[in-house]
Amino acid sequence: MISVRKIFFNFLSFIIIFFSHSEPISEEFLLCKKIVAPDDVLKLPFITKNYLCPPDANIYDIEFVRFKIRDMETGIVLFEISKQSQTEIATTVENVDLETDDDAHTGRFVRYQFTPQFLDLKTVGASVEFTVGNRPVSNFRMIERHYFKDTLLKSFDFEFGFCIPNSRNTCEHIYHFPELSPSLVADMINNPFETRSDSFYFVDNQLIMHNKADYAYNGGLNE
Amino acid sequence: MGFLTILQKMKQKEKEMRILILGLDNAGKTTLLKQLNGENVSTISPTLGFNIKSLFYKGFNLNLWDVGGQRSLRSYWKNYFECTDGVVWVVDSGDKLRLTDCCQELHNLLSEERLMGASLLVLANKQDLPGALTLSEIRDTLQLEKIKTHHWQIISCSALTGNNVLLGVNWIVGDIASRIFTME
Repeated sequence: MISVRKIFFNFLSFIIIFFSHSEPISEEFLLCKKIVAPDDVLKLPFITKNYLCPPDANIYDIEFVRFKIRDMETGIVLFEISKQSQTEIATTVENVDLETDDDAHTGRFVRYQFTPQFLDLKTVGASVEFTVGNRPVSNFRMIERHYFKDTLLKSFDFEFGFCIPNSRNTCEHIYHFPELSPSLVADMINNPFETRSDSFYFVDNQLIMHNKADYAYNGGLNE
Repeated sequence: MGFLTILQKMKQKEKEMRILILGLDNAGKTTLLKQLNGENVSTISPTLGFNIKSLFYKGFNLNLWDVGGQRSLRSYWKNYFECTDGVVWVVDSGDKLRLTDCCQELHNLLSEERLMGASLLVLANKQDLPGALTLSEIRDTLQLEKIKTHHWQIISCSALTGNNVLLGVNWIVGDIASRIFTME
């Protein structure tokens, strides 16, 4: 009896795995799931409307304390915000405006406002700094998905791996800006905050943090 | 085709390289990393964790990992060995007192099974300091000639001024590339 059940479930899981590779997954489905895994969010076709885990899922006390973006061609820091200083540096090139919403999700949402020139950048360095609580973290992984309206622009997947207890860590990704067509760029400028991102953080393949951001590129145009 | 072969193929396709930057505390690992990436190196504090830079260089996606070198952190180094293609061992050429400590840590590292296939670049750093040990003095003290298990190279440099830093990176990237990415 047990073995028949086992075979049936094996078969079922095979079917699920087989189809899950091709089928997109819905946010509603993931909201009901107890454990959200990297493979799940990689199949999300759209930006999420909700957070896929509560703030207290972060049992490792992982805290992001700095975000920075620099233009690699000029070396200019375009944007920097850090927890220690509670200030943001807006430099000459970009008009940066950052707000965090004041609902229950404070700290999980960031709003960026850039000037259109931001979309002309060729190579940027995006860095984060984070601290870890007093237990070791294994298999720390980040998946960040950027969308404009209903189109996925970029999906970013990075494995930090192990993090030392009570550590302070930095990570900078230096990358070429994706080639965007002029019509898409115009669309993105004309539709502020329709460019959005979901940042998912996993420890041992379980979602422990979900942050969101939205972006406008029309800074300075309406003033 | 075995699982490892598939993994190897995937790695080839993406042309990813993972390079660990290790050495005693105050060797100049973070300065090296920042210098390589055009960042200000005038104020650098001890690394109490890791610093990662992920960048494209010569057609490769380089992941450079600088892990803190304080004694209390060294026991965590082993957590970063997996899938490492190269190790950059940074030496403070002015720190004569700790050179035997440095030698021992290096040879401990080289006996690690998970680092068996990794290329080793030893950087005799801080050559801008008056009284810095020479390249050959460091090669002898660190007993580099004894190393038969790894491809290795020693280069003198100054992470602070940037002198010879690219030379070192070019060597290790080239060595890894010739080992891993030649089957295409």
